[in-house]
Amino acid sequence: MGKKAFLVDADKCTSCKLCVIACKDEHVDASYAPWTGPQPDTGHFWVDILTHERGKIPRVKMTYQPLFCQHCDNAPCIKACPEDAIETRADGLVWIDEKSCTGCGECQPACPYDVIFMNGALGVAQKCTGCAHRVDEGLLPRCADVCPHDAILFGDQNDTMLADGPDVKPREIYLPEAETVPRVFWRGLPKPWIAGSVIDAARDEIISGAEIVATSLDDDSALTVKSDAFGDFWLRDLREGSRYRVDIRAPGYLSVAEAVTTRGDQDLGTIALKAAE
Amino acid sequence: MVEKKSKKNFYISHPASGLARSNFPMVTEVADGKILRSLPFHVPAETRLYEIRTSRGTFVRPRKEVQMPLAIAHKKRVHSDTRVRYPLLRDGWSAKNPNAAERGKNSFSRISWDQATDIIVEQLHSIKEKYGSMEPVFVQADGHGQSGYMQSLHFWGHYLFDMLQKKKGWGWWTQQVRNPDSWEGYYWGAKHVWGFDQSLGEPFQDAVWDDVLEHCEMVIFSGNDPEATGLGMSGSIALEMPKWLKRAGIKIVAISPDLNYAAAVHADKWIPLKPNTDPALYLGLAHTWIVEGKYDKDYVRTHTTGFEAFRAHVMGEDDGVPKSAQWAEKITGVPAHTIRALAREWYSNKTSLSVYFGGAKVRGTLSHLSTRMEAYVLSMQGIGKPGRQFLRTGAPSFYKKDLAQVPRYPEVDFKGLALNPMIEYAIGKAPVTPVFVPRTLAAEAIQNGKVRWKSTTSALAKTEDQFKSYRYPPTDDHPGIRMVWNENGSQPGSWGHGLNWLAALQNPKVEFVLGIHPWLENDLPFSDLILPAQTNYEHEDLIVAQRSEILGMFYQEQAIEPVGESRSDYEIHRMIGKKLGLEAEFPPVDDWLKKAYDGTIANTKHGLSWEAFKEKKYIVYDCPTWEEWVEIKKQHGYSEHRGGMAWYWDKAGGLDTPSGKIEFVSSLIQKHEPGNTERPPLAKWVEHPESLGTEKSKSYPLIVMSNHAKFRFHVQGDDISWIKELAKVRGPDGYMYEACWINPTDAAARGIHNGEVIKIFNDRGVVLAGALVTERIIAGAVSIDHGAKMDLASLNNQLADRGGCINLIAPVPGEKYAKGAEIDVPEMNVSGFLVQIEKVNPKDIIPGTGVGYSARVAAE
Repeated sequence: MGKKAFLVDADKCTSCKLCVIACKDEHVDASYAPWTGPQPDTGHFWVDILTHERGKIPRVKMTYQPLFCQHCDNAPCIKACPEDAIETRADGLVWIDEKSCTGCGECQPACPYDVIFMNGALGVAQKCTGCAHRVDEGLLPRCADVCPHDAILFGDQNDTMLADGPDVKPREIYLPEAETVPRVFWRGLPKPWIAGSVIDAARDEIISGAEIVATSLDDDSALTVKSDAFGDFWLRDLREGSRYRVDIRAPGYLSVAEAVTTRGDQDLGTIALKAAE
Repeated sequence: MVEKKSKKNFYISHPASGLARSNFPMVTEVADGKILRSLPFHVPAETRLYEIRTSRGTFVRPRKEVQMPLAIAHKKRVHSDTRVRYPLLRDGWSAKNPNAAERGKNSFSRISWDQATDIIVEQLHSIKEKYGSMEPVFVQADGHGQSGYMQSLHFWGHYLFDMLQKKKGWGWWTQQVRNPDSWEGYYWGAKHVWGFDQSLGEPFQDAVWDDVLEHCEMVIFSGNDPEATGLGMSGSIALEMPKWLKRAGIKIVAISPDLNYAAAVHADKWIPLKPNTDPALYLGLAHTWIVEGKYDKDYVRTHTTGFEAFRAHVMGEDDGVPKSAQWAEKITGVPAHTIRALAREWYSNKTSLSVYFGGAKVRGTLSHLSTRMEAYVLSMQGIGKPGRQFLRTGAPSFYKKDLAQVPRYPEVDFKGLALNPMIEYAIGKAPVTPVFVPRTLAAEAIQNGKVRWKSTTSALAKTEDQFKSYRYPPTDDHPGIRMVWNENGSQPGSWGHGLNWLAALQNPKVEFVLGIHPWLENDLPFSDLILPAQTNYEHEDLIVAQRSEILGMFYQEQAIEPVGESRSDYEIHRMIGKKLGLEAEFPPVDDWLKKAYDGTIANTKHGLSWEAFKEKKYIVYDCPTWEEWVEIKKQHGYSEHRGGMAWYWDKAGGLDTPSGKIEFVSSLIQKHEPGNTERPPLAKWVEHPESLGTEKSKSYPLIVMSNHAKFRFHVQGDDISWIKELAKVRGPDGYMYEACWINPTDAAARGIHNGEVIKIFNDRGVVLAGALVTERIIAGAVSIDHGAKMDLASLNNQLADRGGCINLIAPVPGEKYAKGAEIDVPEMNVSGFLVQIEKVNPKDIIPGTGVGYSARVAAE
């Protein structure tokens, strides 16, 4: 059996939540032994959408991150389970053997992605199985099957559909520091931005084409963008927790500089430039 | 009977289907009477899809067709706790003493179908004997609930009374006329600028995507949110169309008080404005264009009338107030520099404006001014020029002059689908009976005893109809409404001032209230008799996929046994009709469906007989190749990449307006109501009782915007635990409250934190909600979706809806007028109204003691 993998693209997800409902449709009140028993009616989200509200009015955007078991090759849950009840299939999907699981709950905090749920009624831990029962029949997991945006793709790990290519952002891993070697790859994971708008307050007009330069105080690398037709700018895909010097310059105006640390997205608000003498 | 055997697939109508028109169906697996799962439909490989070929790429649609989460979750409604399983009679009711005031408080007892239909027939006879006709029967019937093609359609009440009049001579009945709810502002406003009577004031969409995808550079999403309601009303294509825009490199600017679901992921720029202040924003744009000379002066001269009056008003020559960007900033909350930047971008880029239907923007007080002003600014930039169009990012296919919005054979449009004549009761040119009440005035017609208004409010009525006077009751000695025939329970949660509707149902003048619905919810507990209707899983039907951009038909087999003694809406009316001697008017279902099907090209051209179709279960029509489409377009006067209003650009005439042109000063309003200040001949910014800055706004300083919910469909879905989990806010008391978006500054000023319980109130009542503190709503406004399931409770001895049904305290059109005065514009104004908000201690809430929700089913 070939190894499987997922590719989740947060840039494509619009949070329609069809994956969430399809997962419930598939698993609530239904058992797929040995891979999983029934999911409780509520409280479990074997796939859920992490919602990132970003920025300040009017520079607000949403990034949505469909999150489910990352089916790790180096799964912390497997190591944490005292009963050896969590196993990896030949295709790489990780599942909890409910016959062996005692519901002790040790696996839950061990998971860095927080995607394991306790089923009190059955006395077991449960999570996404990658729809192992469907995969065995050559079908897609329900979340990937229903997604109208191809934000969740599933296939053989070497499938070109899941691979890096010339026109797409390179694949990433969610929480790489956890060193879990997951079988879920990502695109579009949110990274901090610095945003703002540039205006000429004296004339009460926006300034488009202003040059905004973010210079890293950590390694001197620099990123430059221009303010758009509404005076707005976004310096995107910055490093979390980095220090930047942000220079805002426009011909005929006095420049402004600010020190910014990217603890999450940073909004500089409306920056009023003064005309040079 | 349903054959009990192992797993089988069924095509099941999407539950948000309305008016016999549907999306593509769900593919539902059923085994041993249990609904297992619902999967996407895949357009079969044998069907040829269209391509839109442009210099920016070729645009296609996916074969996978998904439906909204509610559709998948709908299986849980089949056996939900609120399901009505048997005919239920209210315990306090008797023919001699209806005990009207106890409606909503009493329990119910199970009776037999025979007893139930006998009671109804007796009640109708009693009305006839006492009052001489069926005029005292108010027959609601509408969409806005689970609705299929025939069996679960909501117009059989209208049909039954129509037949009683026509075949039995029982006289007229009172028709509740569906107001143009999804199009309100366009219907009452834009029609006076550019007509489009046939598409309720929104311009035709003929081949519009060819034009937009080839030429357009910027699209204004004016409150447009296909991500919220698109799946429900059009299916997958509504999610595809915004992606086409992005792929074509078209910039998206969203103008809306909230960062709605489409703006949140698609907009390059969000311009938040105070709810329903769009007219002021448009005036600020026009001012900038006029001052800077940035509009199409030639087009204005050749294609419009009355521009000089508009120009003079914009410049303040008539009232001394220039409608500058600074002026607009004060009203809209949008910085003047942003308004001017938008004006310049709009002028220098080929800009189209898009809506889905219209959304909250067109359902506010005086929202007819917004849409007229919108038509003005689109006209100033030459609507119909390449890339300058009015664009609907959704699918309903009747928005056309000659051609569909994407490549489709005209023959398929006109003869491909089985029409259900019943929809004319909802989307008609006029009411069927001369005795009628617009749905926006339903409660007043009962409570006030007399209402006068203008317009039939019929969807397809000519604009002139808006100046005709009507009244209810028709004469002063008329008994008025004595009986209510309620087929979907959506009145309190979808229309204005729902609390007054509930009070109307308890009015002692009303002798009998019949409810026909699958669930005991919303205003259904206020019935005297409730008949158990079915879900779409429980009966055969046709599914007519017309609310998509490709068309097809499906055969829905009965998938499971009926729950309890439920019957389909059609069967229920058939049973009643039989006891009234109307058996011949209600033929067997299969005969009725066959007749509807037989005239389509599926049968007449493709040779798929009704029996063969039932075997095959579907037909999805081919689309033309691009070459064929270009040829079809040529025959209708469009070149390869032209469409939308291109014909008007070419012709400079031919609109439904008296002049045939775009009218800045409406010649009809000028003729009929030259002195109307609410809807003046030239649209202006008019302050009204629900505006910020009024005396009332000192007590109620926040303005509610109310969208359609993303996961409910109008009032349905809140009884599904999965749907609740998606959208509700779990309060500190564990109750799942309806989410109310509030800006951090407004929350902080009231000591409100995320997740806390709040009360939203005004003079009309109190609604409880869960605070969702967010940057997604402009300060001074709050956002709460319409149609939450009512759950009446008590807060400090005051009736409060814990369910969060905001329509209970929304305005009604008559409030703007003196009591008894004629209502010039009976608009539906359920968004953009004033409230105050306070934090609530959940301990002060006493559940279930309020009117209506002490009602419980006594016995099964």
